[in-house]
Amino acid sequence: MVRLKARYLLCEVCMSERSMLRLLEEKDIFQAVKTAVTTAHGQYGLALFNIGSAVRYVNAYTGVVMLRFRKAHYQLLWSALPFITSIWKQGQRVPCFFNCIHVGGTIRTCQKFLIRYSRQQLFRMLPHCKTEAEKQQVRKAVLSCSLNQLRQDDDDDDNDDYDDDNDDDDGK
Amino acid sequence: MSVFMDLNITAGTDKAKLQSTIETAAHLGYSTVAINYVVEGQKKKQLIPTPQPLAELFETFPTVQGKSRPIKVLNRLTVVATDASHFRPTNEYKNFDLLAVHPKTDKLFHAACMNYDVDIICISATEPQSFHFKRSPVNGAIERGVFFEISYSAGIRDPTMKKYTITNAVNLISVCKGKNVIVASGAEAPLNLRGPYDIANLGLIFGLSEGDSKAAVSTNCRSVVLHGETRGTALGIIHTMKRPQLPTEQPEEEIPAAKKAKTDDGSLIV
Repeated sequence: MVRLKARYLLCEVCMSERSMLRLLEEKDIFQAVKTAVTTAHGQYGLALFNIGSAVRYVNAYTGVVMLRFRKAHYQLLWSALPFITSIWKQGQRVPCFFNCIHVGGTIRTCQKFLIRYSRQQLFRMLPHCKTEAEKQQVRKAVLSCSLNQLRQDDDDDDNDDYDDDNDDDDGK
Repeated sequence: MSVFMDLNITAGTDKAKLQSTIETAAHLGYSTVAINYVVEGQKKKQLIPTPQPLAELFETFPTVQGKSRPIKVLNRLTVVATDASHFRPTNEYKNFDLLAVHPKTDKLFHAACMNYDVDIICISATEPQSFHFKRSPVNGAIERGVFFEISYSAGIRDPTMKKYTITNAVNLISVCKGKNVIVASGAEAPLNLRGPYDIANLGLIFGLSEGDSKAAVSTNCRSVVLHGETRGTALGIIHTMKRPQLPTEQPEEEIPAAKKAKTDDGSLIV
């Protein structure tokens, strides 16, 4: 079997204020990446960007987005990402930057990584908790995200992922 | 996996900004950062700044992403030299962990590569280079273990600067063939930083190979830090330091009698 290979870039959108993350939307991110590629690599970059690029996943709570590029030229398109300084949102400029955390060949490997990564974030959050109730909440969230669960039911894993990230935000 | 380092974070006057920049760097996964103090050579008698004590900066240093260790912070001095008299190795330079020089002319670049006792030679990112990189000084610098630094944050802020950054970087890398290059941020604000993987990929634009560009944010930076450590010593072999004051009590009482061996002339050998 021959298939078109893609690369999935898991990026974290970092903003100065975390509350602004709620405004993240797929089409704004797509537009921001498109503009960045055009300014960095011109018409040629845009031409490559138009083949098979997409935003596959946006998590407005943790700020994680997943971008899909063709494998043949993902490095060229990726090199435009550091030059993104802001996202335009309803005519309003939101300063931010993209931080790539993982490059995967399939959505599945990215998902596995993301679960592990979210869990790490929860652990990092633990020392910052102020009350005991918050701590308990984070601990519960840590236990709820595991790879074993993923292996058991392949179908529900999308939902799992959403749950984890929601908890993630509650803890903060 | 190797650790990532960012050896250029501009020290501004704003302490809170510096703190949040370092916190962001820890969040992005950099395990070592260097706070950069710049001395402009032109001004007469400009005092060399003394580095801010690191204990004042943070009570507890932020933990690095993916590691359980706190971030390591170093101090670095950059001397911008337009004239040979601007770089004078004095005792004040020894307060800093790293020493960098930013030569503006051909002659100074040659001297910096061949003679100056520095760790890093900065490459201009905000203006076109006024001279060509020649092969012989660059090779000399590589042989001595001095590294060249490309800083990217000016290029992120401004498209014109980006042009100059890329031009100068490609020029340098074609001469040094990708060896002894580090890529650092030069960031003033947290939003000017970028993640290590992004920078490793950005190196591909500068003409670095995949392995070299990854080394530019990890292993080469480690070499710079080690070079900085050995600069204060004699060839990295001998290091002299002041002995801390010993407690007043004599150690002789502490040694148990069984361990004392008496020689013929009555002196003690411990």
